[in-house]
Amino acid sequence: MSHLDKKELHVCMGLNSCKNQGATNSNDCAGQGYCSTATPHPCHTLNSCKGQGACGLFGTTEEFCHPGENDCRYQGSCGVPILASRFIAQGPNKGRSVWLLARARFEEKRKGLKPKVGPSPQPFGPTEEYVNALPGITNKITSSCGQSGNRSCSYINNPIERKAAAAARVSKMEQESKAKLQDTLSTCPKHAK
Amino acid sequence: MANKKSQKLFTLTNDVVDKNNIEEVMQQAITLELATIPTYLSTYYSINRAQDQDILYAKLHKQLSKSGMRTAAEIEQLAQELKLDILVYANKSAALIMSVAIEEMLHLSLACNVKQSFCQKAPDLMGIGKVLSFPAYLDGHKPEFKINTAKLSLDQLTTFLMIESPDPFTDPNAIGLLKATVDYKTIGQLYEKIITYIEGSTNPEPYKKRPQLLPPEETKRPRPYYSQNSINTVHYDRNHKPQFANTNDTAGLVGVHNKATAIEALHRIIEQGEGSTTTQNKKPHHTLQWDKKTKMAVPMEIIDGEDGGKTVKFLPGDYEDGGEELAHFAKFLEAYSLGGYYQEKFTGIDGLDDFFSYFVYNQATSPTLADYQATDGGNQALALADKLASAVFAYILLMIETCYHKEEDTQYNLFMFGIHKSMIWFLSEIGNHLHKYTFSKGGETYQGALTFEPYIFENHALSPKEQILEILAELSKVDSYWSDWGDNYFPSLPDVGLDHVVKKDIPNVPSTPYTHHH
Repeated sequence: MSHLDKKELHVCMGLNSCKNQGATNSNDCAGQGYCSTATPHPCHTLNSCKGQGACGLFGTTEEFCHPGENDCRYQGSCGVPILASRFIAQGPNKGRSVWLLARARFEEKRKGLKPKVGPSPQPFGPTEEYVNALPGITNKITSSCGQSGNRSCSYINNPIERKAAAAARVSKMEQESKAKLQDTLSTCPKHAK
Repeated sequence: MANKKSQKLFTLTNDVVDKNNIEEVMQQAITLELATIPTYLSTYYSINRAQDQDILYAKLHKQLSKSGMRTAAEIEQLAQELKLDILVYANKSAALIMSVAIEEMLHLSLACNVKQSFCQKAPDLMGIGKVLSFPAYLDGHKPEFKINTAKLSLDQLTTFLMIESPDPFTDPNAIGLLKATVDYKTIGQLYEKIITYIEGSTNPEPYKKRPQLLPPEETKRPRPYYSQNSINTVHYDRNHKPQFANTNDTAGLVGVHNKATAIEALHRIIEQGEGSTTTQNKKPHHTLQWDKKTKMAVPMEIIDGEDGGKTVKFLPGDYEDGGEELAHFAKFLEAYSLGGYYQEKFTGIDGLDDFFSYFVYNQATSPTLADYQATDGGNQALALADKLASAVFAYILLMIETCYHKEEDTQYNLFMFGIHKSMIWFLSEIGNHLHKYTFSKGGETYQGALTFEPYIFENHALSPKEQILEILAELSKVDSYWSDWGDNYFPSLPDVGLDHVVKKDIPNVPSTPYTHHH
């Protein structure tokens, strides 16, 4: 049995409710887990359980408002984990960070509960390199540059400049998404349950 | 071609829409909406959107170096420019085609809603699926023209332009006109005929309630089905800034309850396909014009874009009535015009290949399962994978049809966990993976592509889902790539019978291995 099998299931870094509920079993507090414990899955409606769907790539505007908040198996909007570079592909919030919305939703749910939510290991969610470097990740994430929800890309020919431009692009998206987070939340109804 | 022309999907005898043929005419409308989907999807799958840019650059660099006419700096600069031309156009043309394919699914549903409510008859999608094969013809369209499942090319985009043309046209390449059914010169004209009949009809309103494909009306959390964009409709400009092919507020599903909503649903199909209708197409808009010499469609004017590349300029009537979303015709004319521009540019540079060959898989035109099964040149894995795809497509039709026999909650489950999953995941995965298989025909070697041939579930005793799983098991024996799919993903499909009975329990599916495909 995997060490994840008895854990709370959540879709990404910083979305755990308690100590030692991140993927690496070593976080100190709520919201400080290093990665998802939900069964990794690649796409819309392929999640195994409640709360395991992410969002951003495929799904409806309404689903994109509720990353990780699906009611049941197969009702998740998209693949897990949610990389920092993933943006919403549909609706009034398109182009904005999925992870930041997921984190805001998580903090909303945890309001007034103990333990308090601590800062996420990375303020805008995990990068592809970060997830691939985690212990126990056997199936590496390999996002393509063309058809992908990955903004961490560039067509610049020089590899160093390309990487820098891609990082700058993701950073810009993160900052813009952070600045517009309240606007994002205002366009999405709160979770109904 | 002659043989295929006799394979009419069905034949009507009147030129007008009236109470005697409205059911058949609506079925005709549903047929033509359905017929566009495989052709658009086959072309979409022919595009390699995500190739390795460094390998592409190296290839271009090598080709440009051969002539010895350029300096090293010139070669580097030109190779980078051409790489961007290829990557950006490939991604954009694919996103545009997918954005139209998504709306064709919407149009199919809208036409089905009208038949279900106005005619009080459920749509017969399985009946269409049993006879729809390619090349196909839009029944009753004047001029009648051939629709292939084929790779992206200017010819294929020309076919798309003819399908979506907002104005009547004459096909300069047509051999001759066939006997018409219910005549129409554009798809919009067919719908206008239906609208005219509905306007004058006296069917009691509201129409008797029957299941339609609609978002559930009363839930705590809205659960609409329709989504205009997905990551497949996103493309990137030369600076890798994401662009969205469909706007947020593109109109979606319409519940048909009376004359007004029936007309609204049909009107939505016209404006999304052909463009603004608010002033009866009097707004200036692009039309399908032909070059007398080349007999090719006349492209739009190419101008400089903000990202350093090329673009086109649209006219007010190229958009839907809201003025924000480009109609299908305009999207295809843009892809055609830019494709032609880049093809000419590449032709003019010594040492380069055809522009499309850099990012389009070498698919045969309207391939058949028999091609894949041929003892000489065939490919067993390709044949089985294609058979699987055809069965999945037939199953999608069965699930959509079943939505018209079930109430909301079952519809939602079917749509999200059956239809959507099958379209964006199963069919896409097979469509993309088929390129890894090859077959030979007529001395040429091609990459595999979906044939969308009819798959008849009635030919076997097993349930439709069992048949799909059986084909998958057979395929897995030939190519182990598919083993995981049988263990995990496919069993999660809903179990729908040919009698539209949906089994309640979806089998428990073990955890799925993570592979990022997007």
